[in-house]
Amino acid sequence: MKIDLLELVENGGCSSKIPPGQLDEIVKLLPRQADPDILVGTETHDDAGVYRINDDLAMVFTTDFFPPVCSDPYEFGQIAATNSISDIYAMGGDPVVALNIMMFPSAKLPMEVYSEIIRGGAEKAYEAGVNIIGGHTIDDSPPKYGLAVVGYVHPGKIITNSGARPGDALILTKPIGGGIILAAKKLGLASGNDVDEALRLMKLLNRSAATAMKRFDIKGATDITGFGLAGHALKMARAGNVTITLDMKKVPLIGSALQLAESGCIPGAAFRNLDYIESSAAISEELDYNLKMIACDAQTSGGLLISAPAGKCNEILAELHKTGLTESALIGYVSEKEDHPLKLK
Amino acid sequence: MNIVDTRGLLCPAPLIATRKALKEVAEGEKFEVMTDNKTSFNNISRYLRDNKIPFSATENNGTWTILVSKGEGENTYTEPEAYCTPEIPHFSKGDFIIVFTSDKMGEGDEDLGRLLTSNFIKAIKDLDTLPGRMIFYNSGVKLGSVDSPVYRDLSELGKMGVGLLFCGTCARHYSLEEKINIGVLSNMFEIAQCMASAGNIIKP
Repeated sequence: MKIDLLELVENGGCSSKIPPGQLDEIVKLLPRQADPDILVGTETHDDAGVYRINDDLAMVFTTDFFPPVCSDPYEFGQIAATNSISDIYAMGGDPVVALNIMMFPSAKLPMEVYSEIIRGGAEKAYEAGVNIIGGHTIDDSPPKYGLAVVGYVHPGKIITNSGARPGDALILTKPIGGGIILAAKKLGLASGNDVDEALRLMKLLNRSAATAMKRFDIKGATDITGFGLAGHALKMARAGNVTITLDMKKVPLIGSALQLAESGCIPGAAFRNLDYIESSAAISEELDYNLKMIACDAQTSGGLLISAPAGKCNEILAELHKTGLTESALIGYVSEKEDHPLKLK
Repeated sequence: MNIVDTRGLLCPAPLIATRKALKEVAEGEKFEVMTDNKTSFNNISRYLRDNKIPFSATENNGTWTILVSKGEGENTYTEPEAYCTPEIPHFSKGDFIIVFTSDKMGEGDEDLGRLLTSNFIKAIKDLDTLPGRMIFYNSGVKLGSVDSPVYRDLSELGKMGVGLLFCGTCARHYSLEEKINIGVLSNMFEIAQCMASAGNIIKP
């Protein structure tokens, strides 16, 4: 029996997130944390929290789960796990252990689907050197899956989104446009090649990119997910008190993402992200409308945006290309803070 | 006239249909797009506005009908805010409020005081964490008037999800009731309640 997980998800291309405004109201009610060992907490909108255990060791802790982004259960498990582990890599950490988090409609779907999702997650965890040492499931529809992951990092070597410095070059390690391709797939408009490529990229661990960052002593990076390239770049610019300029013509795109955007296949999340960046971004008059919307396209399990000293940029790119991230590209730069924290051209 | 009926479809299908119709109809022609999805309606409006394509829209019982004109022309869309409320502010708000008791900041030269207030309000937009509310009383209410130099900044903060409370008595005193069209004109009870429940109060 062939199960198409996407048929269980009602929420078209428009994402299923809780409005962050409402969430903030709730988070505000939580007691304040004054523990000096919290090195990265909730305030800075980073990819994961970091807690110091001793002077040489800190724990990076993150969780992420979501409803299916593809049809095949095994593939969904792989993507969800890759996405969860990615937050550890983005902070400069080494992922160590994880717990499965699963919501599954046991009355609606055969249990093989459950085991396929878990198997996909386990495979990616194994590839990343992560031991899954437990988990928790509740009955719920549609299914949702992800991991809570713990990693290690040296307290002095944490990579955060506030680490971008004027003069840095910005490197993106995976092409974008995945949100557009997946929306097109649901409508039967995407080519098989494009869908395969989008799935391949979502299943690709950010591990080799993280290894390169450590080798070159990078201080600032973030992973590109739901806020899109532009949204995450804006957060990075704000956190580092700098201005980030993105040259959209240099940004690598998946297959025919641009043509699909041109035909109007622009998911709702891209419009939401545009609302979010607009008042803080200087958008060049010459920038193509569809490229602007691609900058706002929400990604699942996207690549890393690395802020690298300009002098090391070519070496890092060569290293990334060598490890299989062949589409890694220099897409912008960091400068002293100007009126707008983000510039798109 | 062509009617593109996208009722029952989820985004981005309605936008794709709109884009397709735009390509197919002749220059100067009009067509109608129907959708029963609010998000799709907002996104189509946004798309048309951004691409400077004239349109007008009506809503009836949860179905929006958008009349699109291909080709050059005046945009007949007059009140974007009425249709396109930003649904989801992503901005994080802190447990603090800012209270403006005057349109000037600090003691000393009055022009300097006004300039400082302007700069302060512009800076708030760039804070990592926005205030939960901003409260204005006495001459502070002048900041919210349409002819105030920070009117646009305050209106943006409002759209980013910051509640703006203006003291009604004060607005009446300075005859500004007609000129304050952002935030809400409030009363002392609400203002007192808001200050009493805030984690921190910043008074520039």
